[in-house]
Amino acid sequence: MSAPHAQVNTAPPTPREMAQIAIGLTVVCLLASILLGGVYLWTEPAKARNVAEREQRLIGELLGLSVDATVDEVRRYLVWRGPRLEVFYLGDARLVQLDADGRLLATAEVPAEIARSTANADKDAWVEAFAEPGEQDRFQYVGRFFAGRQGGAPAGYVIEGETIGFKTWIRFFLAVDPDYRLRGIEIIEHEEDPGLGDQIEEPYFKNQFAGRDHEAIADIEVTKDPLPKAWRAALEALAEQDLDTWLRAHAADLEAHPDIHAITGATISSVAVADGVKRALANFRKRMDLVEEHL
Amino acid sequence: MTTAATRTSPPVGTLLMRGLFDENPVFRLALSLCPAVAVTTTVKNGIMLGVAVFVVQVLSSVSASLLKNIIIPKIRIPIFTIIIAIWVSVMDMVLAAFFPDLYSEVGLYVKLIVAFAIIISRMELFAMKHPVMPAFWDGFGMGLGFLVAMILTGALRELLGSGSVFGIEIIDASPLLLAILPAGGFFTIGLIMALFNWVDVKRGLAVKDDYKGCHG
Repeated sequence: MSAPHAQVNTAPPTPREMAQIAIGLTVVCLLASILLGGVYLWTEPAKARNVAEREQRLIGELLGLSVDATVDEVRRYLVWRGPRLEVFYLGDARLVQLDADGRLLATAEVPAEIARSTANADKDAWVEAFAEPGEQDRFQYVGRFFAGRQGGAPAGYVIEGETIGFKTWIRFFLAVDPDYRLRGIEIIEHEEDPGLGDQIEEPYFKNQFAGRDHEAIADIEVTKDPLPKAWRAALEALAEQDLDTWLRAHAADLEAHPDIHAITGATISSVAVADGVKRALANFRKRMDLVEEHL
Repeated sequence: MTTAATRTSPPVGTLLMRGLFDENPVFRLALSLCPAVAVTTTVKNGIMLGVAVFVVQVLSSVSASLLKNIIIPKIRIPIFTIIIAIWVSVMDMVLAAFFPDLYSEVGLYVKLIVAFAIIISRMELFAMKHPVMPAFWDGFGMGLGFLVAMILTGALRELLGSGSVFGIEIIDASPLLLAILPAGGFFTIGLIMALFNWVDVKRGLAVKDDYKGCHG
């Protein structure tokens, strides 16, 4: 074999060299993917468990519910039967089937073993079997939300949303009251740049959304004006208090700051989150109008 | 096999000093400035990135040295990239699965590393030509040099830009907001480079032409 620092060679590679390069790279990539695939299979169950645990904890914190409350997961599916679209909502008690205009097509009781199952794959498979998509049809899970109940009455919702950040998806939770006032947001997964976009996790940014009703959220705009110091301190104080206590002291401040102040140097990430929150809440309201009475 | 590999390797002390001062990746070689500038707005960010780079640098240098006899020279650069990508992905997955608390702190920094010029350059310039132990110490020194550079830059920028260090308020104001903006990162690194050169001049050493700047 020649030295690693081959002499400057301007001659075109011979077919043998070309084959060596092509085969060499293929083998290296193949080995790398086998190795990474193995590590993935080894680590994925533990990672999924960590993520699920964290989500459960956040849902509890976001809704601020007492111990006797229950939280039901509602999963949403789309089925395209040729040009026709149908929507399925799988709650703890009932499966609701709607057409694209929101008209009720059918409901079904959910068997207890499916409702209690912690494996999402089991739930998805049961809905798919119920929907009976044909060969050419598409069936897809598209998102979920969580409904908190206390003494039989709705006590709030946690909506899972996604938005396109600077590099890839930002996944977040929105907590809303039964009257669609936003209680708070929590960033679940993101890959924004450290020191810049990753500030979306900081109280001074994410708490700017808290306490606003759905009309205010629909109207929010992102401003590049610097965040006033007093308002920042108030937003950071919310991290230590519950929302209702905080609102009693800061309702006027909230009125006085209708815009979301972008993070310095991370306007794209800030706008992405603001748009994502707007979209997730508006869509959720529309969907609940159609489906709430049936679930 | 090669003439290069039979060359004797420098002692450990030289390798460490080289990474920290003589060939400091940031202040001397001016490599990986883009992520370095983006991240060093606070000391904490700087440390996180520095530690992540340190670990990947050592692992990658050792891997390149171990595999140097079977790597086809013509495709060594893509292979280096793949080696780094493997270590970064493995670290990312293992931390996410078994150290979730640590991962929530350093996960983002680990993902940044794949395209770090400094790591590839040490594999190419050193690890490919030397046995495993010197390659380990070279990676160790360079990784440490990068970590120190991140801490210095982060501390100076956080102090000037936010008036604090490690998030603890020292001055009740932001003396120079520019310092935490990207342009301020370059100014800060430039100033520390100048300090390095100044120390060299004081020690009576000639400043290498390469370190006088403006080489792109």
